[in-house]
Amino acid sequence: MTAKSERRFSYALLVLPAVLIYLAVVAFPTIFSILLSLTNYNGGKIFGNPNIKFVGFNSYIWMFTEPTGNFYSSLKNNMYIVAVSVFGQIPLGFILAYILSRKLIKRGTTFFQTMIFLPNVISPIIIGVLFKAFFVSPHSVYMELVRLIDPEAVFTIGARPMIPVLIVILWMFTGFYMIIFLANMQRIDPAIIEAARIDGANESTILFNIMLPAMTGVIITCSILAISGSLRTFDLIYAMTMGGPAGQTRVLSLFMYQSAFQGAANYPLANAISTVMVLISIVLIIVTRQMGKIFGGKEE
Amino acid sequence: MDNRSVSLMTKTIVYAVMILFAVLSIYPIFWLVIQSFKSNQVYLTTNKLSLPAEWFLGNYSFVWIRGGFSNFFVNSVIYSVVTVSVVVLLSNMAGFAFAKIKYRITPLLHGLFIVGILLTIQSILIPLFLMMNAVNLLNTRLGILIPYIALGLPMGVYLCTDFIRGIHDELVEAARIDGAGFLRIFARIIFPMCAPVSVTLAIITFTATWNEFILMNLMTAGDKYKSIPAAVGRFAGSLGSDYGKLFTSLTISLLPILIFYLIFRNQITKGVAAGAVKG
Repeated sequence: MTAKSERRFSYALLVLPAVLIYLAVVAFPTIFSILLSLTNYNGGKIFGNPNIKFVGFNSYIWMFTEPTGNFYSSLKNNMYIVAVSVFGQIPLGFILAYILSRKLIKRGTTFFQTMIFLPNVISPIIIGVLFKAFFVSPHSVYMELVRLIDPEAVFTIGARPMIPVLIVILWMFTGFYMIIFLANMQRIDPAIIEAARIDGANESTILFNIMLPAMTGVIITCSILAISGSLRTFDLIYAMTMGGPAGQTRVLSLFMYQSAFQGAANYPLANAISTVMVLISIVLIIVTRQMGKIFGGKEE
Repeated sequence: MDNRSVSLMTKTIVYAVMILFAVLSIYPIFWLVIQSFKSNQVYLTTNKLSLPAEWFLGNYSFVWIRGGFSNFFVNSVIYSVVTVSVVVLLSNMAGFAFAKIKYRITPLLHGLFIVGILLTIQSILIPLFLMMNAVNLLNTRLGILIPYIALGLPMGVYLCTDFIRGIHDELVEAARIDGAGFLRIFARIIFPMCAPVSVTLAIITFTATWNEFILMNLMTAGDKYKSIPAAVGRFAGSLGSDYGKLFTSLTISLLPILIFYLIFRNQITKGVAAGAVKG
């Protein structure tokens, strides 16, 4: 074998297994999903079925205009999740990371870091089942506490069923943002802070004039992660509320799942929803790249 | 580093904040484990926050044996071990080729994997289900393992390519001059050198696989091939739940991943930070 053909052969052998599996299971279905969303396929044989026809953007038009507005109410819940991240998890994570990175506490840094990140390694489905029992059931800890005040209280799901879900999401992911901020704060050259200190800067000057500006890029990355994370939210709500009552806690991924697998299968609609989700993801990738260029260098 | 100006007041507040967050993070887990030692009857009739008067072990034997959790546990282990091994090997192979064998197609292929990091599994769920159905892989181990491996690859290829790019080219060139083929260089030199990134990747992949629910729930019917996450809800019914068994099944699901986390916590947090920064 010549060196050139050995080179080509090796490259193919090393790359092909990963590329083939990836193309078959991730890339192809992405395109397949877009095609399906443009058809009238509703079950039965999928390859070589003469009844499947392309019907253009009917599913999209229906999704955007149908009278119950399920798409918009689901999207709204996704936006609530993003809001909890941007106004809750990210600031809290920043504060916690700041405390740990500036060594404002002497002991237990590793302990606090380990404990606060812990919810992130647990399966969201387990967290969902756990908090359903903890919060949203007649036999919950929440009702136990309510009965301390009003012994006759009866469990109701409440007027705003998204609130318990959002509390759990806040609980789950604050540690995630803490870890990201912490990793990036530890990359700031300590000499800069030391120099500022010698020039008489106090803690709040260090926070607002050094740390926050250095973290701008990271905060933007975190916000993008929050949006993509909200699109991923499924297991937790599936276990906790199943989108109920009356779809009030439904998110896009659950809306898609229910369109395809609960009741009469509406695959084109479900694929239209997932295509919109993919589009949001692609926009995010582009935005991330652009942000990376603008704030380039700071996080790499 | 900062012992001068931090007043006692600030210190107290800072400690209070940290302790509050730590307690809030672990209390629900702690509560769950304790409640798993109550029978359903006891849980329903006593204070939900109390310790059990006597520690009841019956839930554990029931859930493990009659509840089928020994089987789900074995399935979880099989899926995790196979997925982790294959993802680590394939990612290192592709990473080596992308980083050290120059071809014009590399940026395109590598870019495809990078795009996959932000794609959500939900967006390919339906076509994947229909495809698996068309090739008769629904409700088989292979039908679970192939998607699991594919979903682990984007992050794996990204991490491995990045790591192997950091290895000096001279090392590969010297071996080439000595007459070694690329496959040999990979097996003898590069793959062993990639142990650190392989460990990080293995940990990330293990956590994701062990916890995966949506695919497992959709691709399997019946108990034979299910893993733990697809089984935890079974003691919670719409008409009434057996809370003792429910909490026990959750505890059994939690323990392995918690032990794993406490052992590898540094690598896990490092891996998360490394994976998240590139977004």
